[in-house]
Amino acid sequence: MIEAAAQLAVNAVALGAVYALVALGFVLVIGAVGAVNFAHGELVMLGGMVGVGAAMLLPADLPVPGLLVLPAVLAVMAAVGLAVAGIAYAPLRRAPPTAVFIATIAVGLIVHHGVTVGIGPEPRRGPPLIDSGILDVAGVGLAHQQLATIATAAALIFAVHFLLQQTRFGRRLRAAAQDPEMARAVGIPVRLTIAVSFALAAALAGAAGLLLSNQYLVTPTDGGALMLKAYVATVIGGWGRIWGAALGAFAIAVFETLVAASASYLVAEALLYLGVLAVLAVRPQGLFGETTGRRA
Amino acid sequence: MRRLIPVLLLSLAVPAAAAPALAAGAAEPVAVSVLVPITGFLALEGTAQRNGAVLALDKPPAGVSVTYQVADTATSPEVAVTALQRALDREQPVAVAAPIFGTQMLAMAPIADRAGVPLVTVSGTAKITELGHDVVFRFFPTDAVVKVAQARYAVQELGMKKPAVLYQTTAYGQSGREHLARTLKQLGVEPVLEEAIDPGIKDLVPALERARAAGADGLLLQLHSGPTALAVRQAHGLGLGLPVVAGSAMHQPTTAALLEPDQLTGVCAETASSPVSEADPRVAAFTNAYRERFHSEPDAFALGQYDGMRMVLAAVADGARSPQAVRDWLAGRRYQGLAMDYVSDGTGNMAHDAVIVCYDGTGRVPTIMKRYDAVDGVR
Repeated sequence: MIEAAAQLAVNAVALGAVYALVALGFVLVIGAVGAVNFAHGELVMLGGMVGVGAAMLLPADLPVPGLLVLPAVLAVMAAVGLAVAGIAYAPLRRAPPTAVFIATIAVGLIVHHGVTVGIGPEPRRGPPLIDSGILDVAGVGLAHQQLATIATAAALIFAVHFLLQQTRFGRRLRAAAQDPEMARAVGIPVRLTIAVSFALAAALAGAAGLLLSNQYLVTPTDGGALMLKAYVATVIGGWGRIWGAALGAFAIAVFETLVAASASYLVAEALLYLGVLAVLAVRPQGLFGETTGRRA
Repeated sequence: MRRLIPVLLLSLAVPAAAAPALAAGAAEPVAVSVLVPITGFLALEGTAQRNGAVLALDKPPAGVSVTYQVADTATSPEVAVTALQRALDREQPVAVAAPIFGTQMLAMAPIADRAGVPLVTVSGTAKITELGHDVVFRFFPTDAVVKVAQARYAVQELGMKKPAVLYQTTAYGQSGREHLARTLKQLGVEPVLEEAIDPGIKDLVPALERARAAGADGLLLQLHSGPTALAVRQAHGLGLGLPVVAGSAMHQPTTAALLEPDQLTGVCAETASSPVSEADPRVAAFTNAYRERFHSEPDAFALGQYDGMRMVLAAVADGARSPQAVRDWLAGRRYQGLAMDYVSDGTGNMAHDAVIVCYDGTGRVPTIMKRYDAVDGVR
């Protein structure tokens, strides 16, 4: 009984930490350009696939294969993020936000179909971050993979926090997001800053995809459900509110796991969306307030 | 936009996929269209369908020449209907290898019916053969066959008395659950848990823990490929130690590839056939040809579609050179395929047998444990 509860709790926290990474990248782009990047879920999936591919290039018996491929996934996905910015944002930066989000839908579909046609439709399993062993904690067996997932996601989240709050680049990024005209007037390269936001968001999406791919597999069709989770987390946490979205995503995963364990998945899903409706009715700016007035 | 992309892909795919297959001394070629979902959520099964059809059409019997074109029907009925109308206008096919996706079949069947062109599919959706369109031919057993085999094996062979049923919220999952529940009731067994699971759910531990808490003595799964692998893996990780009889997704080599052999210990699955498990030299030849051509392992969907297209070619070889003649041949003849013998039940259901395969924990190739012939009484 205690073991089952501990297992459920660790699963919920691990899934919540990864969903928080997904939401973090999602809301970074909202903050930067005021429009939703509908390709974000597909970028999570692509990150998982890049992780699978990179792991195949490693010798079979190397330790910590997932951690070894993580830098490569971050780098490749950052480059993909720059490409998304160049294709779906830069040519449309003077158009209404709706044009950007439609362009990102197109990019998402190209990624989805490209992966299906290019490498096949079957689910794949990514490398374990460390190994597939079990850690015995007071008689309760906890999977190394889940513990490593929590630690890696937490490290990435704190790295982003440090980047945004403690560095000159982070201050520039936040300034460009809050008031692009003023930022430009004081000499901040706004277009470059926005492009880097896309790169950072895609890198976080890729990391989330890699973290999910071992325990929960990765399938070309995964993007839509992940995108929905990020969107709901952003609505709950506050539109454009970075840490609100991350906390919202974490709360969604914990809530879904615990309710599904005590009632059922359908009850969990129904209660979650009733909760979202309640938030929209009672506090439409989200639990932590709204930083971006425009919604798309 | 979601609907436009597949149409664009379709336009690109058609010229690339067009291919004539000519047997020595062949007569005037007949055309066959292959319209299957190569992208979208059924791409895995659709790709197996395409591969099975292409393998059959590439080597027609002596005296038959055939041209075929492949088009992607993706996931919407509109794209499938457009692909069918385009094929009927441009190719005048004598038969169509049609999508596994039942919703697309329901949209295509009236059009094919008006044109009199047979649709040869492995779709499991019951309704496609219940609406009076006499052009639909299904070369894969329905849930009325495979779910009966699954429930019987679990109860009669493994001795399950308190199974937990985990099923997908999709039409596939719900249809399977209904048939499982009906058969279990006939066998005097009541599930201790029935849990509906959305395909987007990532963590199945909550459902597995509830099955354990309910005192389940076995798991019956009706899940798609990824969730099936996840359920088996997480059940193993939790140390549930329960026997598992899964749906046909578990027989697919792509699903087994996601699991370690020890995680597969004691896991069984229902299916129409398991080409990689068969010792029959004809099936082994098919499996080898499939591997050589597509660099992947064939599953029951590929073999069912292969058998369906071979039956169409047998009809053509026997002189049926129009859609109506091919339809009549399919409706009235018995055909010995690689997976089983096929004969119509009068509504286009051609497959009536099922097998149960089980993994022994030493590898990813299952063994055929039991064959259930003529489950629906059609011989």
